[in-house]
Amino acid sequence: MSDTVTLAGPQQRQFNPYSDNGGTILAVAGANFSVIAGDTRQSEGYNIQTRYAPKVFRLTDKAVLAVNGFAADGNMFVKKVKQRLEWYRHAHSKDMPLRSIARLIQSMLYGRRFFPYYVYNILGGIEEDGSGAVYSFDPVGSYERETCRAAGAAQSLVQPFLDNQIYFKNQVAAPGTSHPSHLPLSDVLALVIDSFTSATERHIEVGDGLEIFIVLARGAPIHGLEAIQGIQEMTSNAEGERVFIVRRVLKYD
Amino acid sequence: METSFAITGKGYTIVASDTTAARSIVKMKVDEDRIKVLSSHLLMACSGEPGDTIQFSEFVERNIRLFQIRNNYSLKPSAAAAWIRRSLAQSLRSRKPYSVNLLLGGYDTTSHRPHLYWVDYLGTMTEVPFAAHGYGSYFVLSLLDKYHDPEAPLEEGLAVLKRCMDEVAKRLIVNPSAYKIKIVDKDGVREIEL
Amino acid sequence: MSIMEYNGGSVIAMVGKECVAIACDLRLGNQALGISSKFEKIFPVTDKLYVGLPGLATDVTTLKELFRYRVNMYTIKEEREIEPDTFAHLVSSTLYERRFGPYFIEPVMAGISTTPGGKVKPFIAATDLIGCLNFAKDFVVAGTASSKLFGVAEGLWEPDLEPEDLFETISQTMLNAVDRDAYSGWGTMVYVITKDKVIQRTLKGRMD
Repeated sequence: MSDTVTLAGPQQRQFNPYSDNGGTILAVAGANFSVIAGDTRQSEGYNIQTRYAPKVFRLTDKAVLAVNGFAADGNMFVKKVKQRLEWYRHAHSKDMPLRSIARLIQSMLYGRRFFPYYVYNILGGIEEDGSGAVYSFDPVGSYERETCRAAGAAQSLVQPFLDNQIYFKNQVAAPGTSHPSHLPLSDVLALVIDSFTSATERHIEVGDGLEIFIVLARGAPIHGLEAIQGIQEMTSNAEGERVFIVRRVLKYD
Repeated sequence: METSFAITGKGYTIVASDTTAARSIVKMKVDEDRIKVLSSHLLMACSGEPGDTIQFSEFVERNIRLFQIRNNYSLKPSAAAAWIRRSLAQSLRSRKPYSVNLLLGGYDTTSHRPHLYWVDYLGTMTEVPFAAHGYGSYFVLSLLDKYHDPEAPLEEGLAVLKRCMDEVAKRLIVNPSAYKIKIVDKDGVREIEL
Repeated sequence: MSIMEYNGGSVIAMVGKECVAIACDLRLGNQALGISSKFEKIFPVTDKLYVGLPGLATDVTTLKELFRYRVNMYTIKEEREIEPDTFAHLVSSTLYERRFGPYFIEPVMAGISTTPGGKVKPFIAATDLIGCLNFAKDFVVAGTASSKLFGVAEGLWEPDLEPEDLFETISQTMLNAVDRDAYSGWGTMVYVITKDKVIQRTLKGRMD
């Protein structure tokens, strides 16, 4: 009989509210710009749910947020951050400064200390002093301003490459010279594209598409940027910081 | 768990091992000699499972002696260490492996150089300037990173060894009461008190 | 606790133009505790072929000795040196002999062979711990820093590198990968094998 209850032991039920949706994000700060990128594959195990699910979002004209980890939490988190930024705009008639967005994100993440948003955040943009900045967060809000950071499925592949190419780790400058503290935009874009093609080659959860956001400081020259094919400007206010997006295809396999 | 450590210096290797034999919370013995003299210029400090340490060290002792009798010369420290390591490695994949950790200190009478080998029960072996086994290793290794000098004369070597024993006495909750200390150099093996 | 990560350590091999390179770190640890900074994981097989053995340290020594024995027996019986591809199959079958109680080692091989016509053929290969062969055309990695090595190598490596450029590429790959791995590092050793010489260098690295 199927309705016989087995009294072998206590019944247990469990619900796991989290999942891992793969993908990788990356951000690099320049002297007067910031580049924030992420792939667009969303997967669960060996199953690709979609080949286009954005992980990088424009928050304001000077702030872009990349979220990676559990996609449902990521989307909800971005929605709530955008809402808080809109409230700020209504209250103060200006966009929230980048460092304040970073602190806001910390509070929002730590506010969920005991039921966290299962996401790694990387915030890129322009500070009030016009410098390019990257802030990286863990799921419960520990954060730090850095020059570059990778997160997500291919973090272990990309981060040591960035250590070498951006921070010049294990490289010795020629006598009488020193390594630059910030790279030019063209170099950064090349490294970001290389990082993602490399990660796509060796990691099954990375691929399909690449979205690169470029945030330029107020009055910064755009030299070379207009030459990139398919580049789109997403700026809402003409005389402030400018946000561009470049889309690239990555391998589908 | 027992603590043993060893250091090399200019023409010598010092091996030290605590002398407490404990079972659970009871000290059974406070004058146990864990450092076996394998040949005229070879020392072996054993720690681990009580029965295994004795069985294995006597097995090694007799085989080293057998080689000496058969061939009329004794194995160099490097050769002895390789043989001992292999015995442990073979034992690891047997039905009942020995759980014995070793420090092998020797003096090579052909090249006139001291040697020290760190060996664990898995058969992992590496030649090192200083080594330790047991909980004491967590304190002693960092200390030796700072104070060890491979060219130090014996007096300085013993002074460093004293620092190690004092540190273990100070920081380890179950501190050993006494140590057996043996030195091997060009003149062979001798025991000292510190 | 994984057996493969008990002692730590990593190896990488790369192909260049008429040359190959192989590199290992020098750490031996017991989980988080460092024991030795002089534990080499690469051993010569012939003067044009090297094997790297990352994994459980006891098996590093055991397999080093076992391969030495089997290669010596081969050399005596055949009255010639073993070819790299033959050695790769020797490694594979030696490991597969222990299919259900394996040696915890993932070997990496690098060597060059000369064809009867005098052409130089670079050779690299790797296997898993039970001997599944992987003949790669570019580079192979193994050990606790393997994912990091893959990432950096994929970014830095290019085809047909000359010996000195290959040395720089493999060195930078190794140094930067092990700096992001707690179980690897404490110095690096690099071998570049060309048709008429082997360049062996020990690199200083971060000691943390």
